[in-house]
Amino acid sequence: MKPAAFEYHRPSSVGEATDLLADLGHDAELLAGNQSLGIIMANRLATPDHLVDLGQVEELSGIAVREDEVEVGAMTTHRDLEFADDLREAIEMIPESAEQIAGPSVRNRGTVGGSVAEADPAGNYPTAFVALDADLHLTSADDERTIPARDFFVAYMFTDLGPEELVTGVTVDREPFPAERTGMAFEELKRGAQTFPTVSAAAALRVDDPERDDPTIEEARVALANVADVPLHVPGAEDALEDDTLDAGIDAAAEAAIEAADPSPEMHADEEWKVELAGEYTRRSLRTAHERATR
Amino acid sequence: MIEFSGDFESEHPPDELWNYFTDPEILAQCAPGCDHIEQESESEMSATVAVGVGSVKPTFDVDMVVVEADRPHKLVMNAGGDASRNSFETVAEMTLEEREDGGTHVDWHAEAAVSGLIASLGQRALGSVADRLVNNFFQDLEDLADEGVPAESKISEKPEATATLDE
Repeated sequence: MKPAAFEYHRPSSVGEATDLLADLGHDAELLAGNQSLGIIMANRLATPDHLVDLGQVEELSGIAVREDEVEVGAMTTHRDLEFADDLREAIEMIPESAEQIAGPSVRNRGTVGGSVAEADPAGNYPTAFVALDADLHLTSADDERTIPARDFFVAYMFTDLGPEELVTGVTVDREPFPAERTGMAFEELKRGAQTFPTVSAAAALRVDDPERDDPTIEEARVALANVADVPLHVPGAEDALEDDTLDAGIDAAAEAAIEAADPSPEMHADEEWKVELAGEYTRRSLRTAHERATR
Repeated sequence: MIEFSGDFESEHPPDELWNYFTDPEILAQCAPGCDHIEQESESEMSATVAVGVGSVKPTFDVDMVVVEADRPHKLVMNAGGDASRNSFETVAEMTLEEREDGGTHVDWHAEAAVSGLIASLGQRALGSVADRLVNNFFQDLEDLADEGVPAESKISEKPEATATLDE
């Protein structure tokens, strides 16, 4: 099918884009990398009157790795993140979640802001940003604000983003994650490269002494994708791990993930299995993160 | 048939809240995705409401009939909405109970028959979003009451109307 008629706008700056949104409000839909919206429009599930294409807004793309934080612009593609070596050294979870998204053609076009604003609870970045306690930056014609990722995702494909706002980027504080004694992992189970994962887990561990085989975990981060109506932060798993070794806490952490999971069944994966996977992928991501913290 | 329910705590007494719940202008300000509400008669309203999940956001022409208005305890509404390739019918009920500290405990419950494309999203997706939208509605209304924005009860129940859901 072809999409219903719409008016196409192509602003070249954030200011132009937010002015358009201020005029058009919920009659407009923002277009980022066009890896979801075009399909939904072609099926006529979505029939926006106006499309505001952010593709020419260059100021929204880019990665900055600073001493104290990393910043990623909303229109940065998965591919750019996948190959950002300096970002991988600083916050490995972001490139690792980018490189596992669909196939190369999607990664060439799809963007971090598009994924965040779409807020599919199966998406990779929403879960990674919840685990990392990232800040999302939003702007509208007359306001700018910063909101923690943990507060941004409020229901299934439903966020705190207003109809006149757009996501400009995301920042992650590096202070909790000193590279020399931190390990991160993003592990997903999927039945085919191009599909959304059945379950994914994001984990980060900071240890006291990376030279030891069984160091004490100072700080743990755990979040899961596609086992709730939002990317699921699991503080219970983090509490179970902190101030002891991985072996001492991993069973309780997996148990906390199972306890927190409240998935909806899918055709290929029933609820019971997804709950079990929540535990298993929590274990796997923690083991990988631990190996990387102590390498 | 999809069922939604929840509750809300207000710092305002039921009798004060009642004016807000039965003032179409207040409802238009608080209802999610609502541009305006027209009062058609003492107990009937019509509205245009754009709500949905993600970019699937049909704009519904909604007709509402108040079938029970027992000030300040209970409000029951029948509503039906049509959008291109989507429609819904719902019976929504709300009870207000005065708390010991003078605030109000609000219980709400709705049953809806949904058809068209949004129905394919399923109870989990719709329920997740509906809970959020209803809570936003109550919170916005509470904020208006906090600010002391004046509200006037303009809606009464339609005589001999009953709440039904035509499948």
